[in-house]
Amino acid sequence: MLWALLLVPLGMSGVLWILPKAAAKAAATIGALAEVAVWAAVLVRAPHRLALVWNWIPEWGIRFHLGVDGLSLFLLGLSAVLTWAAVFVSPAERGRTYFFWLLLLEFATMGLFLALNLFVFYLFWEAILIPIFFLLSAAPRPQARAAALKWLIMNLVGSLFMLVGIVAVAVIHAEVTGRYTFEIAALAGTPWPAGSVGWLLTAFLIAFAIKAPLWPLHGWMPEAYSEAPAPVTALLAGVLSKAGIFGLLRVLLPLFGPALVPLRMGLLVWAAVDLVYGALVALRQKDTKLVAAYASMSHLGMIALGVFSLTRAGILGATFQMVAHGLMVGGLFILLGWLEEATGTRELGRLGGLSRHLPRLAAYFQFFALAVLGLPGLPGFVGEYLIVQGLVAGAVGFAVVAVIVLVVAAWYMLRLFQGTMQGPPPTAPAPGRDLGPRQLAFVLPMAGLILLLGVWPASITSRAAPTLYRAVGLVGHAAVGTGIGKGGMR
Amino acid sequence: MVYLLPKILVAGGALMSLLATLGLPRWRNGAFWVALVLLLAAGVDAAVLWQAEGNLSLLVAGSMIADPFSSLVDLLVVAAGVSSLLLSWNGDRYGPEFPALVAVAVLGMMMVAEAGNLIWLFLGVEVLSLPLYVLAASERTALGGEAGLKYLLLGAFSSGILLFGMALLYGATGTTLFVRYPNLPLGTGFGLYGVGFLLVLVGLGFKVAMVPFHMWVPDVYEGSPTPVTNLMAFGTKVGAAAAILRLVAYGFYPQAQWWSPLIGYLAVLTMIVGNLLALPQRDLKRLLAYSGIGHAGFLLVGIAAHNFLGSMAAVFYLVPYGLAAIGAFALIRLVEGNGEGVQLDDLEGLAYAHPWAAALFIVVMLSLAGIPLTAGFIGKFYLLQAALVANQTGLAVGLVVGTLVGLAAYLRPLQRMFARSRSERVQAFRWSWAGGAVLVVAACGTLFLGVYPSPMMHIVDQSANFFWLR
Repeated sequence: MLWALLLVPLGMSGVLWILPKAAAKAAATIGALAEVAVWAAVLVRAPHRLALVWNWIPEWGIRFHLGVDGLSLFLLGLSAVLTWAAVFVSPAERGRTYFFWLLLLEFATMGLFLALNLFVFYLFWEAILIPIFFLLSAAPRPQARAAALKWLIMNLVGSLFMLVGIVAVAVIHAEVTGRYTFEIAALAGTPWPAGSVGWLLTAFLIAFAIKAPLWPLHGWMPEAYSEAPAPVTALLAGVLSKAGIFGLLRVLLPLFGPALVPLRMGLLVWAAVDLVYGALVALRQKDTKLVAAYASMSHLGMIALGVFSLTRAGILGATFQMVAHGLMVGGLFILLGWLEEATGTRELGRLGGLSRHLPRLAAYFQFFALAVLGLPGLPGFVGEYLIVQGLVAGAVGFAVVAVIVLVVAAWYMLRLFQGTMQGPPPTAPAPGRDLGPRQLAFVLPMAGLILLLGVWPASITSRAAPTLYRAVGLVGHAAVGTGIGKGGMR
Repeated sequence: MVYLLPKILVAGGALMSLLATLGLPRWRNGAFWVALVLLLAAGVDAAVLWQAEGNLSLLVAGSMIADPFSSLVDLLVVAAGVSSLLLSWNGDRYGPEFPALVAVAVLGMMMVAEAGNLIWLFLGVEVLSLPLYVLAASERTALGGEAGLKYLLLGAFSSGILLFGMALLYGATGTTLFVRYPNLPLGTGFGLYGVGFLLVLVGLGFKVAMVPFHMWVPDVYEGSPTPVTNLMAFGTKVGAAAAILRLVAYGFYPQAQWWSPLIGYLAVLTMIVGNLLALPQRDLKRLLAYSGIGHAGFLLVGIAAHNFLGSMAAVFYLVPYGLAAIGAFALIRLVEGNGEGVQLDDLEGLAYAHPWAAALFIVVMLSLAGIPLTAGFIGKFYLLQAALVANQTGLAVGLVVGTLVGLAAYLRPLQRMFARSRSERVQAFRWSWAGGAVLVVAACGTLFLGVYPSPMMHIVDQSANFFWLR
């Protein structure tokens, strides 16, 4: 079953080259849909333990170990759904190579979320970079090439130091226990020597923060987000940014949970700075896509706050918010792409009053904007509520900051909506067509899914919670006596 | 005698292909086919010998060390020679003696790796270098002439240093049989013996392109015909790296406490300088030249780590590097057609005009950059483990920094391929079966090693078990 999650996108990306060029998009859509179906089958079977182990490189104690638990289950779904969305809304003229890279990207993200072995984790962690690099390189504007290089190099700076960290973790573990292994579960309880735990932690933390991105390591983000085609930006913000947070939960907490507790205040301040910085910068942007980009960065600060609160509520909230935020912000970027297509511009100053010409786009745009700003009844609210609950239990001051930023979030999202859809008519050339049936076929299911998560968050939380706490090391020997709180959760 | 068979086959290939150029003027490609078939036969024989060999045995009074390591190196240099021959397909312009000279150079590379005696080592270095001096200038262009002359002068210079070092070693020990050195009462100090060792290291450092002895590399690589550059980049590096590994692991392991840090510092310097200088290059061959320097640094990491894992990692790394190098040179050969040299701009539009060539090239370049799922990543991971197990964190960080610095160099050519315009070279692009075969084999091998490295690791494990490192 888990093989299928990897082989469907990989195989389909190969099949693309056999089929005629014109069929590329259709084939990619079928592949992405099949992946959603495979994920649905995994979801149905998820109460059972799903794992896959292959003794890959026995010389180094490396096993190709994949598994599904509460942490990864819904992120896999997010990746499947958003990839389908990205393929579905991309025009067929983008060509075969484009769809090939999209499917390969899905393969890499699926592998990352499934990995339970540090070597496998790293493998897919870097594999993610390549499709995005080529998708950006092939984008029309010359600036896109620079953005692509920046994306790759900044991310690799982080991940190569993480690579040193990974090998060092295995070597130190072997010195302590005599067993050379890269299994995350086996490495989890290791008593790290006091001298090395600091730099090991840093090596991992920086890699994850660059991918998310968290301030001040977000240098690649504005260019990559604005140069990429809208569906690719949706994937970047919706799925790939979650990879960084996922790394925190999958690797950092289990391996270094006890060591993180004394650092908690510093980490919380860091996440809070990112939260506030992203929100304030989003307020000042004149480019619609960049407003959403910095908004997304601010939300990642919020999710990181939930993780660093080191409480059950905060971590459950972060897990929920990752999925919800992915769907919402992915949809928002796709809508912004259509807006750009219809008007030919992204400048807020040249847009305005579009709701009269594009009523359907305006309606759905409003829905996604409200979801992103955290309106109760929609999933953004649920995630933020849980995170704030965790913060209240652990560090009340940060809960206050988070709630204040929620107000700023409402401000920048409404500014974006009002600036484009309401107010005086635009000075830009007359807008093109409103959403057609094909676009509605995308936007309706997405909106439905978001609404479902908003009114029935337990669909995720109840399935995720039990295995989640174990996966991130909140339950079990690693958590004993470390001061990791429950945050009001049972 | 059985052990000598691969060398005899290669030497026979050189002679018979010379005869073929004389005796059969009608059969134009005779020399090519004779050399190719005999090189392939030597490769098969080396593989058979690899399986047959157990522990090491000394032949010809210790001049030759017959062990799986020699056979593995034989296989690798034969691969280099075969790929160079294939890339020269239809290359009347390189002159009729081209295949014979390639075979002689391959013979020299084989000798270097098996030497247990300084004299044999020196002979090997000369047998490998002399044909390359000629080959570098074989196209009779101005750049080629410059390359040949530069290579000759610096090669003679480095040979002189090498020989001087060997003389000092002989003076200090009374024997040229370096495998005996650890048994001699030399202590662990420096002295005449140390100076001699350093000079030998410098002489071999020229061949492996170690910084600061790398100055000749870019000009020679750029000026030489592509098949010759391929032979230098893969074959010479394999031979020289194997010789250094053999020398330090067999002759000088008691003195590891001072040469291991020295090689470590040089390795870090080589990795960073090589990759840094690769960044601004516009000529693909120059870029690969600097990349070759950087990769020499990676190889030295394994040697400097001086443990079992390190020697295995260094030997393993030769394979990904070699595959990537021959793949890249095959693409250069395909793109350059009847011209010489490929600028980065010449690659524009290749991804749309010839997606398969572009895809294969992407694989080998990503391997050079060390991206996962390619062989290059496994090689770097191997070296990283060796450095950290040896508790040399500086070496590990240097390796990572070197990799980082070089990234943009490998990625910019790939980006050029996705440009919307098409260069003249791309428009004139023609597949040739030989170049295509080399490219396909290199890229498939790279992917296979990246996805399933276990078999190769087993081979390396068997080959590089220098017993005192265990």
